[in-house]
Amino acid sequence: MADKTQDTTTDGGVTADEEITQPLGLPRWVSALLPIVLLVLVLGVFAFTSPLAGVQSGTPLPDVTITHTTLPSDETVVLHVTNNGPESVTISQVLVDEAYWDFRVEGAGGDQTLAPMESAQIVIPYHWNPGWDLGVTLVLSDGATFHNTIVAPSQSPGFSLGLLGTLAVIGLFVGVIPVALGMLWFPYIKTMSDRWLHAVLLFAAGVLGFLAFDAGFEAFELAERIPGAYEGNLLVVFGIFGALLLVQAISAWREGRVAAGDSRASSGLWIAYLVAIGIGLHNLAEGLAIGSSFALGRVSLGAFLVIGFMLHNVTEGPAVVAPVARGERPSLKHFAALGVIAGAPVILGGWIGSLAYSPTIGAFFLAIGVGAILQVDWEIARMVRDAGGRVASATNLLAFLFGLAIMYVTDLFVVL
Amino acid sequence: MPSIDYSSAADVTKRLEERLVESLTGETSVSRRTVLGGLGVAGSAAVGLGSSRAAASSDHDDEGEHGNFGAVGEYRDLDFDPHEFLTAFNTGESGQDNVPQQVYEEDGQTVREFEFTAVDTTITIAPGVEFSAWAYNGQVPGPTIRAVEGDLIRVKFTNLGRHAHTIHPHLKNLNPRMDGIPQNGPGVLDTGESFTYEWIAQPAGTHFYHCHSLPLKEHIHRGLYGTIIVDPDPERVRENPREYVNYPGPITDDFREQLVEEAKSRNHEYAENDAVNEMVMVMNSFDTNFDGGNEVYAANTRAFGYGVGDTDGEGNWTAGETKRPIQIDKDQRQRVYLSNATEFDLINSFHTHSQFFDYYDHGTTLTPTNKTVDTIMQCQAQRGIIEIDYSDHEPGLYMFHAHQSEFAELGWMSFFEVV
Repeated sequence: MADKTQDTTTDGGVTADEEITQPLGLPRWVSALLPIVLLVLVLGVFAFTSPLAGVQSGTPLPDVTITHTTLPSDETVVLHVTNNGPESVTISQVLVDEAYWDFRVEGAGGDQTLAPMESAQIVIPYHWNPGWDLGVTLVLSDGATFHNTIVAPSQSPGFSLGLLGTLAVIGLFVGVIPVALGMLWFPYIKTMSDRWLHAVLLFAAGVLGFLAFDAGFEAFELAERIPGAYEGNLLVVFGIFGALLLVQAISAWREGRVAAGDSRASSGLWIAYLVAIGIGLHNLAEGLAIGSSFALGRVSLGAFLVIGFMLHNVTEGPAVVAPVARGERPSLKHFAALGVIAGAPVILGGWIGSLAYSPTIGAFFLAIGVGAILQVDWEIARMVRDAGGRVASATNLLAFLFGLAIMYVTDLFVVL
Repeated sequence: MPSIDYSSAADVTKRLEERLVESLTGETSVSRRTVLGGLGVAGSAAVGLGSSRAAASSDHDDEGEHGNFGAVGEYRDLDFDPHEFLTAFNTGESGQDNVPQQVYEEDGQTVREFEFTAVDTTITIAPGVEFSAWAYNGQVPGPTIRAVEGDLIRVKFTNLGRHAHTIHPHLKNLNPRMDGIPQNGPGVLDTGESFTYEWIAQPAGTHFYHCHSLPLKEHIHRGLYGTIIVDPDPERVRENPREYVNYPGPITDDFREQLVEEAKSRNHEYAENDAVNEMVMVMNSFDTNFDGGNEVYAANTRAFGYGVGDTDGEGNWTAGETKRPIQIDKDQRQRVYLSNATEFDLINSFHTHSQFFDYYDHGTTLTPTNKTVDTIMQCQAQRGIIEIDYSDHEPGLYMFHAHQSEFAELGWMSFFEVV
C-alpha cells in the first residue's frame, strides 16, 4: 500500500518496521478491527445470555415529561409530553384540577401508549379561565401521576403570516435597530487613542461576558424542562464547549493563514465578524425566547420595555465595531453585514421559537451562544495584547467592569 | 385580661390581607423572557396586527363544547363487575362462586361458613388504570357476608398474600381471640397460615370487616375490607323491641308489629324482603402514586362505574358496556347498605339528587336515625342503611354522589336510572 512511502513525509518521523510492531505477523487492518470484533462478541454475549439477570431487580420507574403546554383556544388545552423512561407508558386518564376529564392523544400512533423517547400531544377540551392557574395530571396505567401547573393561562396564537410579521417587527426593534444605532459610534471610536480604544474593547468584552452569564443561567434553567432522557444540563455543557472550541478552531486556522502571509486574515475585521456572530447567536436565542413565549401564550404587556431593551442592546453596537477602529475603514457593506449578523437573528429566532418551540432547542441555542461569546472574549483579549496593550491595566479592568455594570443596570429595565 | 385592642387587631388584619393579596398576585419578578414576549404584543399592537384574542374568538364559535368530565374509555378488565357486586350477598346458602360457603346446624345454632383467602392481585380502578391490591378472595371490596342475628359466622381464612393479614369484624364480639388484631388470638397470619374465625352475628345492622395488620393505613387502603350484614330476627324483635329503637316512649302493640314488619323486610329469609331491592355500596378510594392523597374515589372500587357511558351534556346519553347507571324499578323500595372504607381523606358522604331518604346509622335500629335527608356523612368505618322511594318520580336519570366535589370528580359519582 501507499502508506509505506508516505510515512517519512507526513510527520518527518521514521517508518516503523511493520514486521516487529504487528504481533504474530498479522496485517495492520486486522489489529485495527480486532478490538471492534471482540467488542461485538462481548456485547452479543451480554445480549443473549443476560449474565446480569440475577443482579437486576425491580422495574424501571415510568418517567413522563410535560415539556410545555399550549392553549390554542379557550376551549382547549394541549399538553406536549415525552416518554423519558426505558419502557412504554400508557396514558390512561387525565385529571384537570383534580377531576377526570375527556382527552385524546395525538401523535402516538393512534393509541394512548408512548414508546420510549416518543412524544405526543394530549388534547383536552376544557373551558379554562384566562389567568386562573390550571393543574393537569396524567394518570398512567399503573397509577403513576405526572403533574403540571399552567400558571396564569392565556391563549397561544396559532401560526399565521401575521404572527411572523409581528415577530419580524419585534426583532427589528429589539435586535437590529439598537445594534445599528450602537455602530454609529464608529467614527468617534476611530479617533480614540490606543489606551481608550483598548478600554472600549474591554468594555465590549464586559458586555459579552454579562451576556454569556445571562444566557448560561437561562440555558440551565430551561434545561430543567428538557425531558430527562435528553440530559438537558449536559446538552448545555456540550453546546457551550462545542461552540467555544469550534470557533476557536476556526480562529486557529485563521492564525495559520496569517502566519502564511494572508493580510486579510490579520485585520480587525475578522474579530469584528466573530463578535457579530457571537452577539448574533445570543440574539438568536433571545429571539427563540420571544417566539416561544408567543407559542406558549406567555405574553405580558408594557411598551416602555421596548425602550429598556433598546437601551440594553444598543451597547452591543460599539462592541461589534471597536475591533475595526484601527487601520483602514472597512467598506459600508461590511458594516451592513456586521449589523445584520448581530441583530437580525432575533427575527430568525423568533420565527423558530414560535413555529417549533421546544425547551431542548431553546437551551441548546442559548448554550451555543454562550460558547461563541466566551471565545470572542478570549479573542478580544488577544487582540489587545497583539496591539501592544495590557489586558489587565487599571483602565481596561474598570472598562470591563463598566461593561458588566451597564448591562446589569439596563437589564433591570427589562426585568422590571 | 386587657380588653381587645381594636387598632392592633385592624393592623393584623391589614397585614394578613396584604399577604394574601401578595400571594395571589403570584411572582412579582417577571422573568426577562416573559417580558420579551410582552414586546411582541406591544409590537403587534403598534403595527396594527390583529391581537391574539381576536384570532381566538373565531374558533370559539365552531367548538361550542366545553368538554365533558369523567374517565375516558371503558373497563377492559371484566374480572370484577360492580353491578354484580351490588347485589351479591353471601349467606352460606347462596352467593358468589369465588366464596366457598355452606350453612348448617350445630348445637341448635345456624352456622354460616365461608372460606376466605387473602391474595395479592391487580384490580382496575379507572379505565386503563391498574392498582396493586391486597384482596379478600381476589376482589375489592371483599365479599359481602350476610347472616341472621344470632347465627354463628365461621370464616376459614388462609393468607396467600406476601404480607401478614387478619380479619377484624366490626361486630359485638365476646371472644377476644376472634378480634383479628396482632395482639390477640392467633395474631397476624403470615403467608400460608390459616385460622378459623368464629363470630356471633350481632347486633343486627350493617357492619364492616377489614384487615387489622400494621401499618393499618396500607392494609385497609390496599383493599382488605368488606361488609357484613346482620339481618334482624323478627321473633327477637317482637320480644325485645326496645333494643331496636332509639325511642324512650311506650311501645304499643301497633308499634311492635310495625317493627316486626320492618325486621322481616330486612331479613333475607322472609318473603317480605323480596319486595325490597337491596344494594351494597362500599365507598372506597385509591392512592395510586403513594403521595397520601387519592387519585380515584368510587362506590365499589370503579371510578364512575355507575355513571353514564357517554353524554353530550345536553341530555343525550348512552350507557357504556362497563360504565352504566344502576337500573331500578320505581315501584320497588330501594335499600342501600352503605359503608365507608375511604383511606386518607376519610370523611365521605352520600347525596341523592331530587330525592330525600331515610337513614339508619349503623343499621342497628328499625326506625330511621335521620329522616328525610338528602345528604349523610360517614367517617371511616361508619356505615348505615339508606332507604329510598322513587315511586313518584318520572323515569330517567337521578344522580347520587359524594358531596365532596373533589371526590365526585375523581370518580365517586353515580346514577340511578329509574324505569
